Amino acid sequence: MSSPCHYPSGTPEQSEGRSATTTLAIDEPRAAERPQQVRARLRALLVEDEPADVELVLRALRQAGFDACGDVAQTAEEFTDLLRSNSYDVVLADYKLPNWNGMESVEVLRREGLDVPVIVVSGSLGELTAVECIKQGAADYVLKDHLARLPESVKRAMRERRLREEHKQAQEELARSNQDLEQFAYVASHDLQEPLRMVATYTQLLAERYRGKLDADADKYIHYAVDGALRMQKLVLDLLAFSRVGRQGSSPHSTDCNIVLRAGLENLKTAIQESGAVIQHTQLPVVMADSSQLLQVFQNLIGNAIKFRGSEPPVIQVSAEAKGKEWVFSVADNGIGIAPEDAESVFVIFRRLNTRAEYPGNVIGLSICKKIVEQHGGRIWVESEPGRGSTFRFTLPVKPIPRGGYGQKNENT
Amino acid sequence: MKTPEILMVDDNPADIDLTSEVLAQSKQPFHVNAVNDGAEAISFLRRKGKYAQAPSPDLVVLDLNLPRRDGRKVLSDIKADPALAKIPVVVFTTSQANSDVIGSYELGANCYLRKPGNLADFIAVVQSMAEFWLCFASLPQKEKR
Repeated sequence: MSSPCHYPSGTPEQSEGRSATTTLAIDEPRAAERPQQVRARLRALLVEDEPADVELVLRALRQAGFDACGDVAQTAEEFTDLLRSNSYDVVLADYKLPNWNGMESVEVLRREGLDVPVIVVSGSLGELTAVECIKQGAADYVLKDHLARLPESVKRAMRERRLREEHKQAQEELARSNQDLEQFAYVASHDLQEPLRMVATYTQLLAERYRGKLDADADKYIHYAVDGALRMQKLVLDLLAFSRVGRQGSSPHSTDCNIVLRAGLENLKTAIQESGAVIQHTQLPVVMADSSQLLQVFQNLIGNAIKFRGSEPPVIQVSAEAKGKEWVFSVADNGIGIAPEDAESVFVIFRRLNTRAEYPGNVIGLSICKKIVEQHGGRIWVESEPGRGSTFRFTLPVKPIPRGGYGQKNENT
Repeated sequence: MKTPEILMVDDNPADIDLTSEVLAQSKQPFHVNAVNDGAEAISFLRRKGKYAQAPSPDLVVLDLNLPRRDGRKVLSDIKADPALAKIPVVVFTTSQANSDVIGSYELGANCYLRKPGNLADFIAVVQSMAEFWLCFASLPQKEKR
C-alpha cells in the first residue's frame, strides 16, 4: 500500500524568498504591503493516483498566484488520516481511482464535521456524472484538460466557504447573546424576589397593624405600596416564567394534541364553568413537541378567549389542518376582538391593550405562546376585528426542526 | 414539657423578626434562637465559644444563601455529624429553583419550604411548619449532652 506523499509549495528558492520577506516585514512593515509579494497560501488535499497529474494541478494553481502545496491520498483511510492531522483549504478529488471513488471524500468530510470544499478534477466526466457530483455536495468540477479553470474555481469555493463561516459565526454570536439575555432575565428576576418579598410582607404588616390608627391618607398610601409590591412580584414571576421557556425545554416527543387540549381544558375548568363557555374541537393531530409547553399554548389561547369574551357566553372552536409541511392550528372565539393595528403588539411581553381595571393580570401569556411556537419552528398570528371575535393561528412543522439542545429523542406517549 | 427550641439561621433580620413574631403569637410557646450566618450556626450547634451554654435545638430552620458558611454546607455538616444528624432541618428560602430543592433533599434536608411573597401566606407557612414539626411529629428524645 502506498503511503501518502507531500508536495511542498514552490521551489526552495521561493521558500527562502518568502521567509526573507517575513524578516523584512518586521523591520520595515511597508514592504509586506507590496501586492506582488502577497501570494495566497493554499493547502490542498488531492485524491489522485497519478503523480504527473498532481504536478499538473499544483502547477496550474501556482501559475495563477497561489502559494500551493499538497498532500495526496489514494484511499479512504489515507484521506481520513490526513484530514485528522492537517487542516486543508480545499480537496481536489479525481472521480475514479483504482481503490476508491473520490466523491466519497464528500461523505468523509461530512462525517468528520469539516467544511472543506471538494472540487472534482477528472480526466473525463460525463455531464450526468458532473451534475450528480454537485448534487452530492461537490463545490465544482474541472476537467483535467481545462486546468486553467481550476484557480478560479478554487477561489470561488474558498470565498463561499468564508461566507459560510461568517454566517455560522454570526448565528453563533446571536445564539450566545440571546442566551446571555435569557440568563440575565433569569438572574434578575430571581434576585429581585428577595427584596421584593421584604417590601410586600412588611407593608402588609403595616397595613394590618396600623389600619385605622393613623389617618385616612396613611391607609391609602400603605394600600398603594402593598398593591405596587404585589404587582411587581407578579411581574417578576412572569418574567421568570418567560425566561424559563428558553432555558428549560425537554426534547420534543410524539405528542397527541387531543390529550394536551383535554389537560388544558381541565386546568381551565373553573373559568369555563363560571363563564358558561362552550368549547368545540375537531380531531387534532399527533405532533413532535414538548407536551408541557404545548399545553401552555392551548391553555393560554383558550384562557384568553374566555377572559376577553363579549356580552355573549364564549363559544370557542379549536381545530387543525395540514397545509404543506405544517399543521395550522386555530383557536377561534366570539369575544371582543382585536383592532388590526394591535394584531402584532398583543404578542409583545407586558404590552397592555386594556386597562388593568377592565382586565386584571399581566400580559404575558401570548408572548410565552409566541416563544414556545417559534422554538418549535412555527409561527403564530391573530386574525380579528373588534367586536367580531378573534382567531389565533399557529403552525407546527409536520417534521420538527432540530435545534441546539434539542435531541432527536423519540418517545411514544 | 420543655419549650421547644428552634434555631433559625438567616442573614435577613426582617425574616427572623417576622418568623419570631408569628411564632410568638401561636398558642404553643416556642423559643427562637437566631444566628445570622452559617459559621455561627455551626458554633451554636457544637456549643463553641460564646455558645457554650446554648440549648440543643429541636428544629433547625435554615436559609440557603448565607454569608461565611453557605446554608448547603451547614446542612451537609449537620447531616454528617452523628451528634447533630437527628435534628430535623427545614430549609426555608426564597429560592424556588428546582436545583435547590433537589440539592437540599440530597444533602438530607427534612423539608424544603419556600418563603412566600405575601404576609398571609408567610404566616400560614411558619405556623404550619412549627405545628407540624414541634407538635405533631415524633422527634428523638433529647439525650443529656
